[in-house]
Amino acid sequence: MNSEKNNIEQKIMNDIKSGKVKLRSKYIFLAEKLGVGSAFILSLLLAILFFNLLLFYLKTSDNLAYLSFGNHGVAAFLDSFPYLLVVSFVILVFVSAYIIKQSNWLYKKPFVYLAVSLVGFVILSGIVLTYTNIADSIEEESYNSRLAGNIFRPFLHRGLGERHGGIVGRVMENDGDLLTIQTPRSVKKVDISNLEESVVKPLVPGVFVMIVGNDDDGLFQAVKLRIIKEQEIQMVNKAVRRRFGSFTIHNTYSK
Amino acid sequence: MTISSLTDEQLVSTIRESNKELYSEIIRRYQNKLVHYLRKFFRDQYELEDVLQEVFIKTYRNLYAFDTEKKFSSWIYRIAHNEAINHIKKNRRSSISLDDQEWELVDDSMNIKDKIDLNIAKEKIEKALIKIKIKYREALILYFFEQKSYDEISDILQIPKSTVGTLIMRGKNMLKELLEEK
Repeated sequence: MNSEKNNIEQKIMNDIKSGKVKLRSKYIFLAEKLGVGSAFILSLLLAILFFNLLLFYLKTSDNLAYLSFGNHGVAAFLDSFPYLLVVSFVILVFVSAYIIKQSNWLYKKPFVYLAVSLVGFVILSGIVLTYTNIADSIEEESYNSRLAGNIFRPFLHRGLGERHGGIVGRVMENDGDLLTIQTPRSVKKVDISNLEESVVKPLVPGVFVMIVGNDDDGLFQAVKLRIIKEQEIQMVNKAVRRRFGSFTIHNTYSK
Repeated sequence: MTISSLTDEQLVSTIRESNKELYSEIIRRYQNKLVHYLRKFFRDQYELEDVLQEVFIKTYRNLYAFDTEKKFSSWIYRIAHNEAINHIKKNRRSSISLDDQEWELVDDSMNIKDKIDLNIAKEKIEKALIKIKIKYREALILYFFEQKSYDEISDILQIPKSTVGTLIMRGKNMLKELLEEK
């Protein structure tokens, strides 16, 4: 056994002396550490940013407001839900947690605590970010054709898409039973003759409305309609103004 | 200052900075310990030697990855552990070979002497250990046979100390059940 031990020692030392077995450079390990650290920080920052964008989306789009219509609003709610933002956020949190787990920086602490702390930190930081105008700037940027705009557009512009079972936009004309609505994407004709509940306030041109119902060969049959404040759907409001400009008739009317 | 008076960590610093030949001292210090440890995974002497050699080569190649503020022994055991597990996974077989007196360490903890014939105790423990899931087995091996503390096992397996305790407790229960089976 002793000779076997000496053999192993001798063989390894011969390989080292002959240069067959070499020390890996310290810079390789440094680069690995920097790479893993950077990947972790990047995924963490992106997770925070995406959570902030998710909050921004829910606050400024029409998505959550559809729930106030009860069962009629579910289809439009699901259609306008920011799946891409949610999926990206979840993936980024998983990537951050995976990097922590694989790099074994914090193996002394139970992983469940780390995962909960990580999610808590991301959510808290995302909420703190809502006090800045980062999300507004990103939304502005998403209309530009620059790289950042192209990256963020798919995440935010779902808030401005056409809905199945729902319409949000600005009243352009009111012909009794027929409304013409400017949505972020187009102009829609809406038949409001079969509304389940009558609208209390007048549907004057310029007001923003949310409508649920069914699309019937280009004419939208409204079931429920609600006048909504512009500031409750800022994303839609901005997009409509960007596409159709400000509404002068409404301004005149309100005076 | 003589070589033998240097700590493992000081030795590693010297090897990295100036004297590669001092690595033979590391091999001398850890060869017996790692043979003892790896024997819990490999019965075949040649297989064991192959793995041992690979452990020392990997340790040398990655010396710059070692943080000299930490304990070298835990680090080299970690490499040995990874190498052993990879080898077992690759070859899809594992075996256990206890030293003559080692089964008594298990007996001290579980008091199985009364229940099994002394002559077959060693063989029975070996067979029982093989049946236990590897995650429990490796914790038991480090705790009973390598006499490592919870803290060291935590560093070697890179799991929280509380998990080490759970693995050892569950592993002991599984082992006890298997030993009590007729």
